[in-house]
Amino acid sequence: MRVLRTIVQALFLAGVVAILVRGAMGLTTSTCETYCPFAGLVALYPLLRYHTYTCAMNELHVALFVSLVALTLITKKSFCSWVCPLGTVQEWIGKASRKVFGRYVRPPVAVDRILLNLRYVVLVLVLGLTWTVWQGDLGFRAYDPFYIIFTGFQGHETLWFSIFIGIGVLVAAFFVPMVWCRYLCPLSAVMDPMSRAGFLRLRRNPGLCTDCGICDEACPHGIPVATADEVSARNCTNCLECVEVCPEKGALELTLFGK
Amino acid sequence: MKKVIIIPAAVLLLILVAFATTGAYRVPTLEVEFVEERPAVVKSVEYTVDGLTCRGKSRGFAGMISGVEGIVSLTTYARSNTAIVEYDPTLTDPVEIETAFEGPIAHEDEEDFPFKAKK
Repeated sequence: MRVLRTIVQALFLAGVVAILVRGAMGLTTSTCETYCPFAGLVALYPLLRYHTYTCAMNELHVALFVSLVALTLITKKSFCSWVCPLGTVQEWIGKASRKVFGRYVRPPVAVDRILLNLRYVVLVLVLGLTWTVWQGDLGFRAYDPFYIIFTGFQGHETLWFSIFIGIGVLVAAFFVPMVWCRYLCPLSAVMDPMSRAGFLRLRRNPGLCTDCGICDEACPHGIPVATADEVSARNCTNCLECVEVCPEKGALELTLFGK
Repeated sequence: MKKVIIIPAAVLLLILVAFATTGAYRVPTLEVEFVEERPAVVKSVEYTVDGLTCRGKSRGFAGMISGVEGIVSLTTYARSNTAIVEYDPTLTDPVEIETAFEGPIAHEDEEDFPFKAKK
């Protein structure tokens, strides 16, 4: 499972790096945001109200966003742990940190719960500012680590402070696993309701589970798998790290529609 | 755990669906009418233009061809880098329009709007 996921992650990461390199060589005008589904959500307001696109948004963004909604309904937030290159980079940094510290370093539960809601604030700010003050322009680019990092810190809207944001997110991911995804990613906030309903989810078999808690420790999102009958948490990305480390075969199983 | 294959399969399928359906509908990035009254005869020409990648660039493109006498309207599609220009054939022609956006006038602003028609 882990090998399959790593291959898929590496392919998408390689794809976005290839776009970056081809862009630097002048072989393409595409950038990482050409295939960003979040732009599809941003595009919806001008598209529905004025029947036009703003900035560089187009039909592909909208189609990718609709696909993402469908994917999340089927497989929860698997986009985050299987596809998103920023998620991949953060996960690998988090794993390096785990090797150094021997475990994931996590904020206290109460703080974590508060921070988890920051994503909604970011989402409202980004959409609100884009649709009003920025008049449809993607002003968020200068603050978006995905854009900043995967344009090689050289995107045309990368400002001086953007570099600090990009590097800051990468450094912070070493100390708090998946820091951007968990606390600040507006796309993650959009996916929450669909993820909660996601059909493909983990189920714990209490008869086989020994309550060892290894799964809890392995989860980069800090989900209490060991005490759940079914993992319906909005933050579950189906990375299946918990299943990978579980010593009891069959104690954790992936189910589709509960079967 | 064979169900895990559902995830990459769904990812692949939905990406393919997204790309396949993108061509099914087209919404303009910019639509501009340059004249209040349309001439009796109007022709249109479609250019595929390097650099025509967003709404801002489309506005720049519109500015460059706006000086050509006989231009009636412009519709751009950033995704396909295309510009459809309607013109009065008694006053201008596609070559003059192309010269306007990639000729000497365009070159003054080359850094901001490096347009070049794809042949």
